[in-house]
Amino acid sequence: MNDRPVKLIAADSYWIGSFEAMASPCELFMEVDEEAQARQLLNIAAQEAWRIESKLSRYLNDNPVHLINNSGGNPVEVDEELAQLLDFAQLCWQLSEGLFDITSGVLRRVWRFDHGSQLPRQQQIEQVMPFVGWQKLTWSRPFLTLLEGMEIDFGGIGKEYAVDRTLQLLQQHTDRALLINYGGDICTGGMRLSKQPWSVGIENPSHPDTPKGVLKIRRGALATSGDTRRYLIHNGKRYGHLLNPKTGWPIDAVSRSATVAAATCTEAGLLATLALLQGPEAETFLQNQDVQYWLTS
Amino acid sequence: MKPKKIRHALTAATCGLLGVNSSDSLGEEGDWSFDSAVLYYSEVDRVTAVEPVISATRDFGEARALNLKFVFDTLSGASANGATPSDQPQTFTRPSGKGAYTAASEETPLDDTFRDNRFALSSQWEQPINRDYKTGFGINFSTEYDYRSLSANANLSRDFNKRNTTLNTGLSLAYDTVYPEGNIPIGLSSMVIDDGQANYRSEFNATRGDSEENKDILDLIFGLTQVIDRKTIMQVSYSFSDVSGYLTDPFKIVSVLGDDGRPLEYRYEQRPDARQKQSLYWQVKHQFETDILDLSYRYFWDDWGITSHTIDLRYRWILDGRHYLEPHIRYYDQSEADFYRRFFIQGESLPDHVSADYRLGNMQALTVGMRYGMTLRNEQELSLRLEYYLQSNDNTESVIPGILNDMELYPDVEAFIVQLSFKF
Amino acid sequence: MSVSCFAAKYKDDESMSVKLFLMTVVVVLSLAGCANLGVEPWQRSVLAKPEMQLISDPLSAGLDDHIYFSKEASSGGRGFAGGGCGCN
Repeated sequence: MNDRPVKLIAADSYWIGSFEAMASPCELFMEVDEEAQARQLLNIAAQEAWRIESKLSRYLNDNPVHLINNSGGNPVEVDEELAQLLDFAQLCWQLSEGLFDITSGVLRRVWRFDHGSQLPRQQQIEQVMPFVGWQKLTWSRPFLTLLEGMEIDFGGIGKEYAVDRTLQLLQQHTDRALLINYGGDICTGGMRLSKQPWSVGIENPSHPDTPKGVLKIRRGALATSGDTRRYLIHNGKRYGHLLNPKTGWPIDAVSRSATVAAATCTEAGLLATLALLQGPEAETFLQNQDVQYWLTS
Repeated sequence: MKPKKIRHALTAATCGLLGVNSSDSLGEEGDWSFDSAVLYYSEVDRVTAVEPVISATRDFGEARALNLKFVFDTLSGASANGATPSDQPQTFTRPSGKGAYTAASEETPLDDTFRDNRFALSSQWEQPINRDYKTGFGINFSTEYDYRSLSANANLSRDFNKRNTTLNTGLSLAYDTVYPEGNIPIGLSSMVIDDGQANYRSEFNATRGDSEENKDILDLIFGLTQVIDRKTIMQVSYSFSDVSGYLTDPFKIVSVLGDDGRPLEYRYEQRPDARQKQSLYWQVKHQFETDILDLSYRYFWDDWGITSHTIDLRYRWILDGRHYLEPHIRYYDQSEADFYRRFFIQGESLPDHVSADYRLGNMQALTVGMRYGMTLRNEQELSLRLEYYLQSNDNTESVIPGILNDMELYPDVEAFIVQLSFKF
Repeated sequence: MSVSCFAAKYKDDESMSVKLFLMTVVVVLSLAGCANLGVEPWQRSVLAKPEMQLISDPLSAGLDDHIYFSKEASSGGRGFAGGGCGCN
C-alpha cells in the first residue's frame, strides 16, 4: 500500500522509529519493551503523519486543500478537521492582528528564497497583494469561500498539528514515554522510567547539521520557527523567508530563528512564528508571553 | 508591545483545536490564575450580606492542579425568629440573656442579634492516577463568631469509552461546632423574659445547657457524566448525606398561643439529632450555533419529611463574541418538615421535636436574573449578575386562632442579589 | 395540585422507595443506550470550551449554594452539600 521507508532501531532503553513526512526527517522515540509494539506505534505515527500531509499539502491534486485553492471563487464545504484548523487559523490571525495569515502563501510566486540575490520588483509584489488577506475570504463554518486567485497554505501549522495529533493517537495505545520529533518540532508524552529528561540537540543556524547545544526536555513541546535554510542576500542585507502579509515584504528580522517551549507543539510553533513576525520586537514579545524561548541571530 | 495574555488565548485556541479540556494536561504550567467575586445579598427589611471571595489556581502540568479559595462574609440585619405577630408589642430575650429585642404590633418578630463575620479557607488538589483515573483531595475550614466547621473530602473518577463516559464518586466528612453566646438553650424550654424579677438570672440560666454542641456530617456522591454529541453533555448524580448531632437552631423559638391567638409563652425549638438527606440531580448543557443552554433538575428528600424540586435554567446568549447576556430562572418547591409548626395553641401537647423556622415549611421560591459578561483585551473576564429572589410560604395549620386571622403569618421573603466577578 | 396533598404523598415511605426504584430504572435504562453515544477525540472542540463545562463558574455556583443553603431546607445535588457555616 505504501512504499515509503520506515526504519526502526533499538537504542539504550528505547526504540527509535524514523520516516520521511512533510519534507522533514521524522523521528519517534518510544520507551516500550517489545519490538512488536514499537513497530505498531511507529506505523500508527507514520500513517497519521502521511494522512495529515496528504490532506493539507499544496502539491497534491485531489486533496481538500487543492479543491479549495482551485474553487474559482465558489464556496467549498470542508470537513470537521479542516473546519477546526480554519477556526484556529482565524483565531491566530486575530491574535496576531493580521501578521499570521494562511492566505499569504501566494507571495511565494514572487519571492524565491534560493540563497540568491534577486529581489522581486515592488510592482510584482503589488500584483499579488490583492490575493493576500484573511479578511478577504469568507469563512462561514463549514463553507469556505476564497476570492479567485487566493490560496490557503497550512505550512505554518501543519507539522506542529501533526505532532500533537500523533501524540494523542499514540497515547491511546500506551502510557509509556514518547518523544515525537518532526524536523525540529517536538512533543513529549508520558514519564520516562528513569525519570531522566530526553536530550535534544539544537542546531547552530550558521552551521546547520552541527548541534549547537543539547536541550533537556522532560515534558511539553518545543517548536522552532526560522529561516536558517531559506533566505536571500541582496546588497549585503539578509532577507529571511517570513513575509509580512500586510506589506508583502520579509519581516525585518533581527533573529534568525526562535525556539519556544509550551504545552503543545501547535502552541509552541505559533508562538515562535508570532515572535519572529514581530521583527525587532521578537524578544520583547517572548518575554511578555512568559515562556521559555531561545533566539538565535 | 503585545499584552501578556495573548498566551492564554492561544492556549485556549490550541485546546479547542486539539479537543482537550483547557483544565487538562495541556494547561499552562507554573502560572497562577485567579477568579474573584463580590456578592451583595439584601433581603427587603431583613438580612444583608456582603461576601467577597477569591480563588487561585495553579497548574503543575500533567493535569495536576492546586486550588485555594478564601471567602469572607459579613452578615447584618434581622431574621425571623419563628414567633407569630400579635396585636401588641412583644419582647424577646436576647440569646446572651443580657437585654431584649422587641417586635411592634402586627410586625413579624425579627431577631437582629447577630452581626456576624465569617472567614473560610479551602484548598483542593486534583491529579490523574493514570490514563483513565483521576483523583482529588481537599480540606476546608470556616469560622465565625459562634460557629466553626472543619471538613475533608476526596473524590475519584474513571473515564470510559474514549472519555465520553465518566463515573465519579466523592466522600466528604465534616465536623461542625456551635458555641452561641449565652450557651445552647435547652430545647422546648420556655423563654424567660426579664420583667425586672429578682431571680431573672437564675431563671434564665435554667434554660441554658452546654456552652457548645457538635455535629458530624458525612456526604457521599455518585455521578455519571456522558457526552451525547459534539455539542451536548449530560450528567446524573445521586447524593447521600448523613448528619448527626446538634441540628437545632439555637436562636429560633415557637409561640404558644391562647385561643385568642395572643402569645402566652415562647418555647425554644428542638429538631431531631439526626438527618438523612438524599437527592437525584440531572443536568444537560447544549450549545446551539453559539449560544449555550444549561438546564438542571434536582429532586431532594430526607427523613424529616421534606421533599423538594428545583429546576434551574440558564441561557447564555453570545453577543459579538466578546460579550454575553445570560438570563436565568430558578424555581424551587419544598414540602414542610414533619415537625414544622407555625405555632402551638395552649392545651396541645408539645411533641419531642418542633420548629417554626419558615425555612422548614411549605414553600415555593422563584429566582429571576440576568448576567452580563465580557472578555477584556488581555483575556481577563468581567461580569455582573443581578437577580431577584421571591420566596412564599404556605399555611398548613388547620386552625388559625383569634387575632392571627387578621395578620400576615407567612410573609414573602424578597431579596436582591448583585454579584460582580473578575477573572484574571 | 394542592401543596399539602403533594407533601402527604411523599411522606409515605413505601411509595417513596417505589419512586426511588423507578427513578433509578429510568436513569439506568437511558444510560444503557450510552454505549454508542459520544464523539471521537478530535471532535471535542466545543466540549473543551470553559463555558461548556458542567460547572463553568465554580465561584458563582458556590455563592449560590450558600444563599440557597441558608434560605431553603435542601442542599447539595451537583457537588458536596456545602454548609460549613452557621447559617442553617
